[in-house]
Amino acid sequence: MKFADVAQRLGAEVAHRGSTFDREELHHVMASDLMSDVLVVDRSRLLILTALASDQAIRTADMVGAAGVVVVNGKTLPAHMTRLAAELDVTLLRTRKPKFEACVALRELAAP
Amino acid sequence: MNALDLARKLNWEILQPDGAETEIRGAYTSDLLSDVMAHAPADGLLITIQANINTVAVATLVHLRALVVCHRRPAPDDFLAAARREGVAVFRTTENQYRTSVRVAYALND
Amino acid sequence: MNVLPISPEQSSLVILDLLFKLKIKEVMTTTLITAPRGASLRDIQRLMKENGITGVPIAEGRRLFGIVSMDDIITALENGTVDERADRHMATNLVVLEDDMPLSFGISYFDKFRYGRFPVLNRNNELVGILTSRDVSASLLLELFKEYNKLEAQIQPPAPAAGERGRVRRKFPAKRYDFENAGKASHEIKKELTGRGYDPRLIRRVSVAAYEMELNMVVHSEGGALTCLLDPDRVELIAQDHGPGIADVDWAMQEGCTTANEWIKSLGFGAGMGLPNIRRVADEFDIQSTVGVGTTVRAVIRLPPVAPSPAPPQTP
Repeated sequence: MKFADVAQRLGAEVAHRGSTFDREELHHVMASDLMSDVLVVDRSRLLILTALASDQAIRTADMVGAAGVVVVNGKTLPAHMTRLAAELDVTLLRTRKPKFEACVALRELAAP
Repeated sequence: MNALDLARKLNWEILQPDGAETEIRGAYTSDLLSDVMAHAPADGLLITIQANINTVAVATLVHLRALVVCHRRPAPDDFLAAARREGVAVFRTTENQYRTSVRVAYALND
Repeated sequence: MNVLPISPEQSSLVILDLLFKLKIKEVMTTTLITAPRGASLRDIQRLMKENGITGVPIAEGRRLFGIVSMDDIITALENGTVDERADRHMATNLVVLEDDMPLSFGISYFDKFRYGRFPVLNRNNELVGILTSRDVSASLLLELFKEYNKLEAQIQPPAPAAGERGRVRRKFPAKRYDFENAGKASHEIKKELTGRGYDPRLIRRVSVAAYEMELNMVVHSEGGALTCLLDPDRVELIAQDHGPGIADVDWAMQEGCTTANEWIKSLGFGAGMGLPNIRRVADEFDIQSTVGVGTTVRAVIRLPPVAPSPAPPQTP
């Protein structure tokens, strides 16, 4: 699933369009708010869904090589978070949907 | 569907069964307790990895019926004791919060 | 300069912590105003007025018989029964609390039962106090202030970095609760390795270890430094802090075990996975700690024998 698909299914706005936005084929989703939980995972082509609208979500994404971060619950993205996403080249999206509904909207990525 | 039926259907481990035979209306996925307090639906199921006693405090405050601890996270004794005391059922799954959310949605809509 | 990294939203989480830590006996009013069974409702109304309370337990010695509330007085005034004995009109189906229960229980009772106050009994069924919602808010506010003062006292400047010669070596300070900068050091380390063209999966392991080590110091220590030693065949990460030290290292190494409180968890930390994560990704791992002195965590990730060529410069 490409980022454009994700944005459409989530009704999400793109806060930062990373360099891999058009070609990245997303395979995995992590829906976690605790950074160490995300760090356990060793997956590429990863999309992180989180309610944590903070720099740490971007840094964690950068550390594990995740393709992008979607902030849920329509939380306002602080300016420094968007700036950091640009600096670290992490695609950043924002959706009004709560995390449960966002997971369901992206259910195709859960196929084993 | 009641929480116990849901847990059995999805093959979850039943860690604390007291209060499990209550109807579940909706689910919420979060590991941030402030977020749960602000948005979780009453009579809902919480999908989380935050297995600690304050999760139980929040569950009682916003009237959540059951918790499912994801990603194989450990469930400390004081957490389970608090859940038993407050009548909040607790289950556990090896799957992560994303997969659990998708499966719960399917199960509740069947 | 040192602003406390705690928002009003997070202060409610500190309160949540306290709901389970505090016992009812630490919060309740212990100077009890009671009346014996033979007191008239008029006497009780006077007690209420003089003391500014809306409920009076009916007790003799420490034995509780019932409770008379403001509502009971109003009804009695309407019915002309205000000179009658308390025990003819008191409520006897009482919901009581035990002094040893955690405060969270008390709060859920206020929600469940809609009474304004609960008599508190000890294990011997003796009346030892009364809990009102005002007691609860006053105590929580007080405890909250204490927490803030503790946090303020703990923000310290970082230890000065010592200079050294040797192979490729970088040292980054880590400051307590410095969430804004947490992760910058690991990012630099990641950049260094990426620039040398190593396999992304290898880089990810080093990044996870460095990041977790850095975060641990920011979240749990008084401050310290992360050192990265880069040799041709290995990268060694050393996180050394100057306190508080870990009393039970084996416990800390277990998944899910954390000393983080609610507001730290609200920032996305304190999952209790940090140390196990580091051990999982490293080829060599050890941790030494002394309470009152500090903790040193060491992780080594081996690099492949043939050094890859540096990555081509990225086009913006």
